[in-house]
Amino acid sequence: MEPALRAVHLSKRYPRAPPGVAALDDVSLDIPMGKIYGLIGRNGAGKTTFVRIGATQLLPSSGEFRVFGLDVRTDTQSIRRRVAAIPQESRPLYFLSVFELIYYYLKLRGHDRLEARRRTNDVLAELSLEPLKDQLVNRLSGGMRRRAMVAMVLASDAEILFLDEPTTGLDPLARREVWEAILRTVREKRTVLLTTHYLDEAEALSARLALLEEGHVRLEGTPEEIRERVGLPYRLTVQGPFQEEDLHPFGKVSRIEGGFLVFAREKEARELARQGLERGARISLAPVRLEDIFLQVVGRSIEEDAPLAEAA
Amino acid sequence: MSERNRLRSIGAIAMLNGFVPIRRQPLYLLNILAAPLSFLFFISIASQNALLAYAIGGGMILTMLSIGTSLQSDLTHYRQDLKFQDVLVASPVEAPVYVAGMALSELVYSTPGLLVFVFLWGAGGWANVESAFTLLGVLLLVWAFASALAFTLATYFEDVRESFIFSPLISIGLSVLPPVYYPITYIPEQFRFLAYLAPTTYAAILIHATVGGPVPSLSFGAVCWGVLIAFTAGLFLLAGFKARWRDP
Repeated sequence: MEPALRAVHLSKRYPRAPPGVAALDDVSLDIPMGKIYGLIGRNGAGKTTFVRIGATQLLPSSGEFRVFGLDVRTDTQSIRRRVAAIPQESRPLYFLSVFELIYYYLKLRGHDRLEARRRTNDVLAELSLEPLKDQLVNRLSGGMRRRAMVAMVLASDAEILFLDEPTTGLDPLARREVWEAILRTVREKRTVLLTTHYLDEAEALSARLALLEEGHVRLEGTPEEIRERVGLPYRLTVQGPFQEEDLHPFGKVSRIEGGFLVFAREKEARELARQGLERGARISLAPVRLEDIFLQVVGRSIEEDAPLAEAA
Repeated sequence: MSERNRLRSIGAIAMLNGFVPIRRQPLYLLNILAAPLSFLFFISIASQNALLAYAIGGGMILTMLSIGTSLQSDLTHYRQDLKFQDVLVASPVEAPVYVAGMALSELVYSTPGLLVFVFLWGAGGWANVESAFTLLGVLLLVWAFASALAFTLATYFEDVRESFIFSPLISIGLSVLPPVYYPITYIPEQFRFLAYLAPTTYAAILIHATVGGPVPSLSFGAVCWGVLIAFTAGLFLLAGFKARWRDP
């Protein structure tokens, strides 16, 4: 099956970026049809650049990017009929009501009045936005505004949705609301390219993930594959009679409040769990989280900004 | 996008950026009326009504030009602050459709102002079919080139404040300094060539003739139309080649 999106040796250097600094450098990725695909990475890692090229908002410097087999450089109009995007930090037109925001977006895309109205009412009902439909968007909370924007693209007939950090700056409850809206696309077999630097979000929503760092793909696969691929796929929290040096043979140890965090291979994790039980320690064993993997692969927290490259 | 869908999109943009905000905040209309009516007032008072006809013709031109300056601010704000242009780029909406819709929406704001001037034009006893066509044609051309210029500039501005720098300069360069509100004969002959650098001078010559001002000769009238059409076409070409719909 042909991928929905295919990048081959894709590079992007912004005209005003320092010489030698690339926002994307030789990136090759296949993004399958009908799935939510997560792009994770620090700010400035190249996620937005990748999304903008795919959404035909930005020209690549070199390499190839195809959407449904169509070239983003030459088949632009054909692609644009089939995509929809919520750019990073975008905001709805503040003088519109929630209904008007969605309805006029659909009219802009060429839907007739009846179809636009039907689709708007459907999406409002499905995302529980009906009670707010006459509210002006500038009177909504940040979470509700983002939800209204997600509703806007969901209501469209686009086959690929580009969602660039749709939940940045939202509180946990509001993020969950937006997640629910995004997960609806899975039922509709649409393709979603989602960028985020919230690793829990990427893990909760994405069927596959790519980890971008300084314009390069560092890891790619399903969350499970990525976990298997990292050297130490288990995380153990240890509270009890162990000293730090006792734990070093089992894996990578860091000190946390009230105990230690150990990243270990399966065999060592089992052995540590067994010894912990024997010695009366409190041990919890779980697969590593994406956050831990990011730390292992990149060597820094995802919260740190990357050096400037995404200068657009 | 089919022609029907293009028209639908243009209509939707005109609604969402024109009628809907006006319905929410009718005071927008007063804002657009303020500048041309102030000029009309001051020029009429200062000239003791001798230049009233010029003030009416100039007011019409300024009203259409102010569409360009408002459009420039709106387009920059929507592109930079709201990322609305990016939302539309990743959709079937084409750049000319967006600009046409936005320009039409700004025309909605200017309609009451134009109606005031058209009323004064009618009350002055200058209305006839030929003048009506001249007015309509010239004002449409001014609207079109002001919109094309606004779009091209707006795609380069990185902050809406940059558009605040350019808007007054464009207004001064195209409507205050050129002989839009006064006869060209007021300019000393040796500097008159400068006035002919502004396309609005040609628009004003044609419009002044419809409000009781001097009527240009047939050949000079044709030159005026030719310059206006060429200038508008040139700005459309500039917008087509240089405006940034997709970022480079």
